[in-house]
Amino acid sequence: MLGATQHIELPMRRYGNSEQVDYCIVGIGAAGGVLLQRLARAGFSVVGLEAGPFWDTERDWVSDEASSYNLYWNELRITGGEDPLALGANNSGRGVGGGSVHWAGFTPRLHPSDFRIRSEDGVGVDWPISYEELKPYYELLEKEIPVSGPAYFPWGDPHGYPYGPHPMGACGDILINGCTKLGIRVSIGGPVAILAGSHADRPHCIYRGFCIQGCKVGAKQSTLISHVPDALEHGAEIRDHCMVSRIHMGKDRRATGVAYFDSKGREAEQKAKVIIVCGYAIETPRLLLNSACRGHEAGLANSSGTLGRYLMAQAGNVVLGRFKELVRMYKAPPANALTEEFYETDPKRGFARGFAVQTVGPLPISFARQMMVAKGAWGWGMRQIMMDYNHWGAIALLGEILPWEDNRVELATENDRNGIPVAKVTFNLHDNDKKMIEYGKNKVMEIMHAAGAEEVVQEARYAHLVGGARMGNDPGTSVVDKFGRTHDIPNLFVCDGSVMPTQGSANPGLTIQALAARTADYLISQRSETFTKSTGNTKQPPIRYDLSPPGTWGKGVPRLT
Amino acid sequence: MPSRGMKPLAQRAQPGYYPGFSTLSQKDYWDQATRTIVLARVEKIPPIRFFSPEEGQLMTAVCNRILPQDDRDEFHKIPTVNYIDERLYENRLDGYRFEGMPDDQEAYRLGLRGIAEIAQQMYRKPFIDLDPVEQESVLKTLHDGAPPAGHEIWQRMLVHRFWFLLVQDVVGAYYAHPYAWDEIGFGGPAYPRGYMRLEGGEPEPWEVDERRYEWAAPPGSPSAEFTSVGASAQHKGSPGQGGTH
Repeated sequence: MLGATQHIELPMRRYGNSEQVDYCIVGIGAAGGVLLQRLARAGFSVVGLEAGPFWDTERDWVSDEASSYNLYWNELRITGGEDPLALGANNSGRGVGGGSVHWAGFTPRLHPSDFRIRSEDGVGVDWPISYEELKPYYELLEKEIPVSGPAYFPWGDPHGYPYGPHPMGACGDILINGCTKLGIRVSIGGPVAILAGSHADRPHCIYRGFCIQGCKVGAKQSTLISHVPDALEHGAEIRDHCMVSRIHMGKDRRATGVAYFDSKGREAEQKAKVIIVCGYAIETPRLLLNSACRGHEAGLANSSGTLGRYLMAQAGNVVLGRFKELVRMYKAPPANALTEEFYETDPKRGFARGFAVQTVGPLPISFARQMMVAKGAWGWGMRQIMMDYNHWGAIALLGEILPWEDNRVELATENDRNGIPVAKVTFNLHDNDKKMIEYGKNKVMEIMHAAGAEEVVQEARYAHLVGGARMGNDPGTSVVDKFGRTHDIPNLFVCDGSVMPTQGSANPGLTIQALAARTADYLISQRSETFTKSTGNTKQPPIRYDLSPPGTWGKGVPRLT
Repeated sequence: MPSRGMKPLAQRAQPGYYPGFSTLSQKDYWDQATRTIVLARVEKIPPIRFFSPEEGQLMTAVCNRILPQDDRDEFHKIPTVNYIDERLYENRLDGYRFEGMPDDQEAYRLGLRGIAEIAQQMYRKPFIDLDPVEQESVLKTLHDGAPPAGHEIWQRMLVHRFWFLLVQDVVGAYYAHPYAWDEIGFGGPAYPRGYMRLEGGEPEPWEVDERRYEWAAPPGSPSAEFTSVGASAQHKGSPGQGGTH
């Protein structure tokens, strides 16, 4: 059961472990779900292995903050460095749909400049692809998700959205009021992966505010509800509670399959012609590092030494404002309005690149934890602040932290319950990042003041994770090529946020799904060549509009030909 | 060092500015899965299994100052310590551990020992025998990052990391409870019904208007002041647990 009205017809197809399937996908999240659907629809045999559960959303998800902890990757990771990242609920998913189950749902595109920040700004690195190459996939995924937003979105490559914008909640009003007073353009009601109107078998949003606890309604997209049902319909198999521990290599420098611990903790193996790792920015490098073997002593696909490096999080400082009037910020989607007016480099600011400003809507527990830091609140002070919860509103920075070699994923000395070494994450802010955060934080606070807040405080934090297995043309400085094929192993691919060389100030969810559809088109265009050949064509194939899930076409405002 | 007891606030069934508001009155409109877990919080309080009896007593006293409930009557106190004990007993992690920190279970055992030592150092008495102002004064030294005792413990784990762990667990237990939602006027679960009045802070038909009155913490409470967590100039706290965007 998915949402209020959607069902998946079971049983699904089952493959034998010794059966060599065409594709084995490790991790069925934002990218894995899209890949699984495309490859199955194109007629390939595909098995997806997912460490977490296959959700029955009506039974497993709750309209409750404290009991939603099982949506996240809660197993041990070590976090360190000068500016250690909070992990867990902050930036990870577990279970079919992965992070797309608990994202707030903002779906801005990257800007054209994001693909060329080395050339244009002298920082970071250029992508091996241009915005123009990804643009048709942005447009396609905005239809498949589908995205609600304004008819005209003015930043980056200006465009409009297939579904109309959402009504405003309290934090959206705060951002609009503040920006309007200061003459800053603001986008309202999206872009978000939340239905403003009913679509196929999914109902529209009911504005209950529990987006990041998993949308029981089925209005917010996750690949679990948008792509997985169609994948299973076309013969894909998903094995849930299966934790992949290792990728096996054969004699010919090709991968042969994966070893995993199944739902009962037994070790098993799945043979496959091509393996695609979609474990996100921490688990993907961890798996490749844990798969080290003779000939690949530093980990698979790590001849460049860049595996696990150039990990990025975005600055996500939350700015909280107290208003004389009631706000009640728990209603409506937290992802409600944003501005990208400060996205591009402005030499006058004294740092490269920029930031976005977005609404958030912390529920009571998150809000209390923010106040623990922002005001040092505890005891009677915390009780007093919380009695005023309904007078506070929140908006946040989403700032571009640049890719740095020393921000990385390595293996820790501790093991998980299966005896697999866990990841150790190191994170340090660099000078440009610190300047951006200082400027951006002050700008967000200025907006909050302009909106009429009588007290404004902020909590430093980070949002999202990308990088760690970045794409590039040079095998000496990157892990995968522009289609996600590892430079070292011709039938081993990576497809998730970890391939992103830079991150811009856009939430990564849409870009990750668009990259997955593009990688799928590439694999499909190669037919069986990927199964045997050691090098691939590097030309971008034509986009396959015919592989979208049902219900994509003929709804919303038509923007594609 | 203040040592007199604070004058307690009057006890109420429901503190806060929303008299008569009850999220539980709406339980028939919630989905089954949500109703089950929220009602269990009120009706099935988990037993103490992780903490030893002595630790449990001390931890209860600590929780009662991290989020005081002196103004709640006996029938409406929120058993925060039981939920923290349950998390530790079930080894429910938050998905990460700061480098150089012991695991959460060890951190609590060490932290409680540290608190006991500070109480002895400051007042020559066990923490549980101190009056509320004294207890808060002990805890304030952790908040301020300047504990006067237990130095070997704070060598093994940074004071502010333990402080954040403790406070975020206590607020996580307290504000998960429907009685706390009533206190702060949070609407609570809203599926499948949803919300319809999104703007202007307007209550839904089943919510109630705010009725403010002069509220003040008991005079002399060290926890009533807002000061940044100690040594915050030197440390980089990123304790944010829940994702926001």
